[in-house]
Amino acid sequence: MIRKTIKIVNKLGMHARPATMIVKAATKYRSEFRIVKSDMEINGKSIMGVMTLAAEFGSELELVADGVDEKFLIQEIVEMFLNKFGEE
Amino acid sequence: MKKIIGNSVSTGVAIGKAKIINKHELYIKDKKILKSEIKFELSRFKEDVKFVIYELDKLIQDYTYSKENRDILESHKMILQDPEFNKRISILISEDQNCLEQAINTYFTEAIDIFSNVNNKYLSHKVNDFEDVAYRLLSHIKGERKDVFVDVDENSILIMENISPSFVTTVFDKNIQGLCTERGSRNSHSSIIARSMNLPMLVNTMGLLGNIKDGEDLIIDGNDGYVIISPTKSVLEKYKAIYKVEQNIQRGLLKLIDIESITKDGKKISLMSNIEIPQEIDQVLKYNSAGIGLFRTEFLFIDRDDLPTEEEQYEIYKNIAEQCIPNPVTIRTIDVGGDKLSNILNITYEQNPNLGCRGIRISLQNVPIFKQQIKAILRANVHGNIKIMFPMISGVNELLKVKNIIEICSKELINTGIAFNADMELGAMIEIPSAVITSDSIAEECDFLSIGTNDLIQYTLAVDRDNQSISDYYKPTHPSVIRSIKLTVDNAHKKGKKVAVCGEMASEKKYVKLLLALGVDELSVSPGRLLIIKKEIIDCDIAEMRAKLDKILSCKTSKEINKLI
Repeated sequence: MIRKTIKIVNKLGMHARPATMIVKAATKYRSEFRIVKSDMEINGKSIMGVMTLAAEFGSELELVADGVDEKFLIQEIVEMFLNKFGEE
Repeated sequence: MKKIIGNSVSTGVAIGKAKIINKHELYIKDKKILKSEIKFELSRFKEDVKFVIYELDKLIQDYTYSKENRDILESHKMILQDPEFNKRISILISEDQNCLEQAINTYFTEAIDIFSNVNNKYLSHKVNDFEDVAYRLLSHIKGERKDVFVDVDENSILIMENISPSFVTTVFDKNIQGLCTERGSRNSHSSIIARSMNLPMLVNTMGLLGNIKDGEDLIIDGNDGYVIISPTKSVLEKYKAIYKVEQNIQRGLLKLIDIESITKDGKKISLMSNIEIPQEIDQVLKYNSAGIGLFRTEFLFIDRDDLPTEEEQYEIYKNIAEQCIPNPVTIRTIDVGGDKLSNILNITYEQNPNLGCRGIRISLQNVPIFKQQIKAILRANVHGNIKIMFPMISGVNELLKVKNIIEICSKELINTGIAFNADMELGAMIEIPSAVITSDSIAEECDFLSIGTNDLIQYTLAVDRDNQSISDYYKPTHPSVIRSIKLTVDNAHKKGKKVAVCGEMASEKKYVKLLLALGVDELSVSPGRLLIIKKEIIDCDIAEMRAKLDKILSCKTSKEINKLI
């Protein structure tokens, strides 16, 4: 299991498009993927779940991946966050 | 005051208040399911999601030029593929025993609730997407069957865009003054029912929905074919007077109820009824009809997700047969296009459904379903006087196949020891030109013929009766149609068989004398037309019209024929 804490650095926060990107990326892997925000934990492969996070600019998330390809999953997702989901 | 023109479906004046029926509103039946239904409901969910995703994929392909639209559709697809969505629906169905519609509604109501409260404007408008997905899914599941008739009362005049066949039963169950549709046709099923009930109705009232508000005063003039919105006081008074006169005429016709339908020159014509839904039996009995010349059975098959069982059919046929004793009830086996049954049968897409798998062809391709209907009819015949007839017969071949199936059904019923009565007249519908031409052979293989003029005209003249742009081509008195009827009658009479006309033509006053002169033995009409047609028969001197028959048959155009009749 890998845990990775990450800050949302894109201005618009976790809106529909980034959520879609995350789910699409995560679904390619076999590992389980969950996202935790304060007291809330959701399935990172569920678009409804990711969107309910409604995480805003500056807020902190914990990414949790568990499975054979967990490393690659986390790597791809983290890159997305760092690239600000291609927003700017 | 505004006036909007339409096509009259049934004559008469209606005065009431407008009630707009918007079919785009969703109806959720709040229904719990049984434990035994859970498995079925879950498989339904899987199938429906699969279908809607397939539909979205097709749309996405079409939207390659617009990324924004494509993204929206992609996100809809993702919602449907969402593992949490699938899990939650499964729980709502299997643990809470919600029906599928209710489960979907609950899920999206919750989601919409959460997202409306989210403090993020990029997410709060996601609510629209959820509504769209929910709508797409539910409308796939339910077709157009939604309860939008909440505030309808006996003063209402319903205003709709169109009435889909699956809506018909609900509409006519209501006690209303009349109805108008912006589209539609005089020969559609809903129009046929409106006539049977003598309910004022207009179709093709273009622009009506844009010009009217719920609750406005409204007059339907079914005689001249228009509606009046917010009539002035003087106009209203004028129509109240007409309404009164019409009621008086109706009272005059009611006096004919117990009079026999015998022509002036002494020929007894059996005047029967066409019914489409069992509820119409009330009218049949009220007007003292000589029986049912056409009992359509389509209502049993459309607008539902499963097939009617033999038992269910038996109960309905038996009930109608018993109520009509000693008069006959002519049951026509299922007569729909495959498109209407796509929710219960595996139907492949047809490019040209009117020339496709419909009528008897559906029955012969789905023999187990056909056998259920035949057995139900054979069993119901114990309780009354039933005749059976088959739609879309194109030649003697189908009739032979059908007779073989009836024999098999009888044998199977004997083996199971269930009571039935196979002593039953068999009839073929004559509505395809090939059947007209070979009506001599067909008459040999059955006990009576029944001409369905609507389809006969449609197929003879190659004109779609619901296509407004070519409605001028739909001519009941086209010489080809009149000669077809003549040929059919002559061929049948040579073999000692009787001929009925059960199409709309029999319900039109102006054609009655002509049909009788052509030798037709029986007319079967919408219950609402029974007394009007009876009056026509009573006033008819067949010999007088027959004297003109040679001239009519040599006419070159329908215009010439119309002048002579």
